Amino acid sequence: MNNKIKIERAVNNLTQEQLAEKVSVTRQTINAIELKKFVPSTVLAMKICKVFNKTIEEVFGLEDTD
Amino acid sequence: MYIIIYIWQNYTNMKSLLLPQVYKKIGWFLLFPAFIAGLYLLIWGTTTNTYNPRIKTYGYFGSVFASGKPVIRFDYIELIPNLFSILFLAGGILVMFSKEKKEDEYINQIRLNALQYAVFVNYILLFLCMISIHSFEFLNVLFYNLFTIIIIYILRFHFLIYKNSTNNNE
Repeated sequence: MNNKIKIERAVNNLTQEQLAEKVSVTRQTINAIELKKFVPSTVLAMKICKVFNKTIEEVFGLEDTD
Repeated sequence: MYIIIYIWQNYTNMKSLLLPQVYKKIGWFLLFPAFIAGLYLLIWGTTTNTYNPRIKTYGYFGSVFASGKPVIRFDYIELIPNLFSILFLAGGILVMFSKEKKEDEYINQIRLNALQYAVFVNYILLFLCMISIHSFEFLNVLFYNLFTIIIIYILRFHFLIYKNSTNNNE
């Protein structure tokens, strides 16, 4: 699954640590999501989108292999 | 006793089976000395039996056909190997099943990965031992096999956590 978390973080001027704190996870979790090593749960994905004030489709997208 | 009640309550409520984080420290405190003592016994224990106290305990002692005595009875056991085995298992279980400082879904995935890896590697090792070690020596394999899942799980889990913390994409 693709995601634009890194871009959105840059737009919103947030570090991984700050975003992690806002959605109550560790920095490693945000790092793993950005590196596409981990697909977040629906709840976590929605929390992340809420921080950026975007919809799910604007931040996350399916790949051909999904 | 408290731990068993805690696990049972969480199990019946379909919550996480993990213990509070403080138990991890207690687990390390039990696991480290037991591991060092276990290594010592493994390397030197069989040749220098200078201190080998025995304690009387109640339990299952062999087959009734072999000894002619009651199967469940009071008898003597070696204190040190039994004590450190129990400490190792207790410490290992506490380390394995305690929460991290900040528990989240990614940690849970790492936990599952480490558990699958540990069980898989454990049975690969057991399989290799089964086809290469025979007769009475195989009892040693069965004994050490009691601890391999715990050891492999702890190593794998902390390796994955470490690897992810050093892999910085900031």
